[in-house]
Amino acid sequence: MKQLEISVVRRALAGVFAAALLLASAGCATVRPEQRAILADPTMQFDEKSADRAALEHALDNREGSTGGGSVRGGGCGCN
Amino acid sequence: MFLRMMPSVGRLPRFRRWSGALLGLSALLSATSARAQVATLDVNSGLFVEPSKRSGLTVVNPSAVLAVKPSNWLTVQGGYEADIVSGASEAVKGGRLSNVDIVTSATHFSDTRHAFTGGFTVTRATTHLSGSYTYGTEHDYRSNAFAVSAGTDFLQKNTQIELSYGRGFDQVCTTAFAASDAPSARLALDNSQGCFTNDKKRASREISLNNFQVGWTQTWTPVFATQMVLSASLQNGFLGNPYRSVVIASAGDQALENHPENRARGALGLRGKYYLRSFKTAFSAGARLYRDTWDIFGQTYELDAERYMLPWLRVLVRARYYNQTKALFWSDDYTGGEPATGPRGQYWSGDRELSPLSSYLLGARALATREGRPGQRVLGLFLSLSGSVSFDLLKTNLRDFTLGGRAPDDTLALLWSLGLRGEF
Repeated sequence: MKQLEISVVRRALAGVFAAALLLASAGCATVRPEQRAILADPTMQFDEKSADRAALEHALDNREGSTGGGSVRGGGCGCN
Repeated sequence: MFLRMMPSVGRLPRFRRWSGALLGLSALLSATSARAQVATLDVNSGLFVEPSKRSGLTVVNPSAVLAVKPSNWLTVQGGYEADIVSGASEAVKGGRLSNVDIVTSATHFSDTRHAFTGGFTVTRATTHLSGSYTYGTEHDYRSNAFAVSAGTDFLQKNTQIELSYGRGFDQVCTTAFAASDAPSARLALDNSQGCFTNDKKRASREISLNNFQVGWTQTWTPVFATQMVLSASLQNGFLGNPYRSVVIASAGDQALENHPENRARGALGLRGKYYLRSFKTAFSAGARLYRDTWDIFGQTYELDAERYMLPWLRVLVRARYYNQTKALFWSDDYTGGEPATGPRGQYWSGDRELSPLSSYLLGARALATREGRPGQRVLGLFLSLSGSVSFDLLKTNLRDFTLGGRAPDDTLALLWSLGLRGEF
């Protein structure tokens, strides 16, 4: 039981470390506002609220045993 | 009553009344054009068809959403959606060894789900907060869903984090069995008459839903962005189909589908978008891994490409592959016999979504947008107007699922969608 707990803690720490590393690497990426013309285009958005996508996901949710992990809004347009 | 007191208006030809109303609305919107976008109206309709000789399915899915922006920082929205479902399905699930006529047990059904939603979004310089409520109702199911989400941009807006939480309180109608009744003695519904009334032959079962999600979007270069989404979901309550019986004994004995009352689900999605300048096309690739406590492991891989064919017309093509393992307790046949199709313990299911399967999807969408020139509106009313049409084809490969030993013939699905979006 103790070995299992140690294994879980190690995995959790590894996950936290990997996430921290990824977030830290994100700080190296610098796209200036004047370079965002392409990123701001609707074709580069992850969660464009399109009717066809909503209808498709609705149908797939009812045909498959898995769900979640879909898109959230964002795409680097810096529109806010 | 009020209209009858206004005979002069009542005698106006109908088109004059409508044109007057449109002119008035147009004037009102023109007066507010200085505040840029005031409202957005989305009207859509989807058509889902699953052809089959015995158990075809047709779903018409109209929806409308109106979003109003009374100030720069606040958006308020309300919407309506319906699922008009008609078709036939097998009320009894049996497998290869079942001595029951499954095919002729297919029964016709039709129902309409109505869903009403309302919500708001507060947007500040680098953050946003959203909340919404959705009420859904149909003859045998009711749902109440609350959702909140918050997001922020940082690192010069190259990094975006979004957190979401959803809570659902659903009710499903079943036959009036007691919790102490043996699952093998419970009966399936044969229709929805008497549901959510005082009918003593019907009962209402609760379903509790908790959904959590965190999303991280990152721009790496002026043409490359990625997104990682982690989702978790907890479900508790009656998680089966109240209409479906499963053959559980070689003598042909049937009982209501019996699923575990708890399910924890998790998914990790990773996707990237890259704009290839030489092709003037945005390419997207994504993968999603899914796991739940019913032992289903799912993998999804997606590719799409979108480009402007004309300045006002863009076209998207997409492809998707999905594969999943079966639920721990799923079997094509619960009547015993071969180990591969033998009993799975205290639970039994006739749900093909819990069986081992894979699917392929191919689709395309065309979207045309017309922007109004400065000082001019499209059709005298819209700041911009866009219309879309799409088609998707989904083919499912059910590896083990049979209806009395016969492979179902409703594994090809066609989905059309039409949309119209106007910004006032």
